[in-house]
Amino acid sequence: MHPVSSTTDDRPDGSPRPDAIRAQHVSVTYASGTEAVKDVSLTVPEGEFFGFLGPNGAGKTTTIKALVTLLDPTGGTVTVNGFDVRRDRRALRASVGYMAQETSVDLELTARENIRFACEAYGVPRAERAARIDELLDLVDLAAVADDQAKTYSGGMKKRLDVATALVHRPPLVFLDEPTTGLDPKARNRLWEYFREINDAGTTVFLTTQYLEEADQLCDRLAVIDDGHIVAEGTPAELKARVGGDVLDVDLIDDDESSRDRAVRVVRESGLLDGEGSVSRTETGVSVTSLHARRVGTDLLVALRDAGVAVEGFEVHSPTLDDVFLAITGTPASERATSADGESEPSEGPTDQKVGR
Amino acid sequence: MSGDTPARTATAEDPQYPEPTVGTVEPPRSTSYLAEVWVNFKRWNLKALRNPFIVVGSVVQPVVFLLLFSEVFGGVVGAAIGDAAGVDYLTYLVPAIVVQVALIAASSSGIGLVNDIENGMFEKVLVTPMRRSAVFLGKTLSEMIRVVVQGALIVVLGVLLGATVETGVLGAVAMLGVAVLFSLWFTAFSNVLALVTRDQESTIIGANLLTFPLLFVSSAFLPIEALPGWMQVVARLNPITYGVDATRTLMLEGWDWAALAPDLAVLVALDVVLGTVAVVMLSRASSARV
Repeated sequence: MHPVSSTTDDRPDGSPRPDAIRAQHVSVTYASGTEAVKDVSLTVPEGEFFGFLGPNGAGKTTTIKALVTLLDPTGGTVTVNGFDVRRDRRALRASVGYMAQETSVDLELTARENIRFACEAYGVPRAERAARIDELLDLVDLAAVADDQAKTYSGGMKKRLDVATALVHRPPLVFLDEPTTGLDPKARNRLWEYFREINDAGTTVFLTTQYLEEADQLCDRLAVIDDGHIVAEGTPAELKARVGGDVLDVDLIDDDESSRDRAVRVVRESGLLDGEGSVSRTETGVSVTSLHARRVGTDLLVALRDAGVAVEGFEVHSPTLDDVFLAITGTPASERATSADGESEPSEGPTDQKVGR
Repeated sequence: MSGDTPARTATAEDPQYPEPTVGTVEPPRSTSYLAEVWVNFKRWNLKALRNPFIVVGSVVQPVVFLLLFSEVFGGVVGAAIGDAAGVDYLTYLVPAIVVQVALIAASSSGIGLVNDIENGMFEKVLVTPMRRSAVFLGKTLSEMIRVVVQGALIVVLGVLLGATVETGVLGAVAMLGVAVLFSLWFTAFSNVLALVTRDQESTIIGANLLTFPLLFVSSAFLPIEALPGWMQVVARLNPITYGVDATRTLMLEGWDWAALAPDLAVLVALDVVLGTVAVVMLSRASSARV
């Protein structure tokens, strides 16, 4: 697999953006002998919102830990913000923000104290600290509870505080490891807004997620990891294209065979799919898979109505990670997650990493 | 920012686009080592102050120990020990309680570490540019503050109740210094236990399993000579004996360097050995260079 390479816009002078991350043939083997990451190569240009997808145990967290110096790659080379992951550890750490998969805040401290500790830990100048703390409290909507201990916060509030502490030093690159896992939709949407804001402000974002929808919403470009290897890469649209696009499911009032066949014919003859996509019968109607399913969905429904096909209901949804995995590997991600959970990416700490390179 | 732009390989494979450079960020301002120690020292003190159980327990526990032990043991063997040592039992007991509270304070060090590991703060701190040794030193220093405060409470209370310190105020301060020296090896041990078990309950049980038997099989509450034969052997190998003997020398006898030196040497050696083990294990746990 070639290194996952940049696709985002170049700088105004036409020169390519420098790479914030450049990893070549990275592997990480734990002391137990488990090869959590086998061969990962990727480059992420500055300013990109990069998504790293994969099921549980695929190697996402191990990769991210290798990129932020929490794990030593057993093989390969990694440069982050121009700093070598083995030689320039302190400088590298100072140049990135990192939000771990599990919420990491000091529950006994208040939000203000947590952020102040992070400011001091990252060497934010004393004169700038108070303003920076207030700015971050506002950013993550915690100003009203800034002086309450974090243990009184909801899960979403703790996550937002975690985000704030990762941003205190205004790092040009932020690593977010499954930041919205376990959150309710409202809390997740708020976090998405923050991530978009920091990316719009120029911060490179490296996001791992199990959810294609999340990656689709946020990311410029994606790589999919499975069993320690990158198995696909591209823009969200390209990955969806591997599946065949979005899916429009239409339920018919008369769902007998002839009505469903008629609906299939109407869709095919409408010309709305621009020659791509597919349509098939379901138990209650028809299912249309197309890159343009969202755009032409309404027109298709109108076409069905005009042809006298009565529609009871409809739904347009994005392909899931399962769909992508099915298209790429022939196996649903959920099955891989089950088999990989205990094997591919053990929850062991760095102490368990294999000695030697 | 969802992108639908076509893939564009910006490498030498595609001459249309030049090879991108590797991004460089200005090396960070270097914070001083002492500032890093201070940051961590502050955090752990703040955490301790936020926990009412720790604040109240730290004050009440030494007082209870001193009063309880002087009443219980003083009534039974106090006279005999006092006669043998030439002092009252309270004066005899104060150094033992100073060492006991140091031991108990040290035993809780690992609990804080496990708590940090469990709530993700351990990793969060490790991914900052702060030096590892400064992180651990700051935490240890904050724990030493507790040892000093609790030890000082014991000495002051003891004096108020009638105990005398042969070496005066300077000696009392030196006793607290010995308490710190003594607590370091057990602090290291507690952290090793925490790293091995990575579980709060196991760390507490493991530390308690050692704390109380070691206390009673030592010179803390009775002279070694008063213990059964096999216990005397264990007591002479027991680090608590050396901590108690050093503080007791300062309390009862004065600046007797011939007596102090061997005890202090043993404590320093223990600190170095267990401290090294703890630092190595913490480094392995916190550094990718394993």
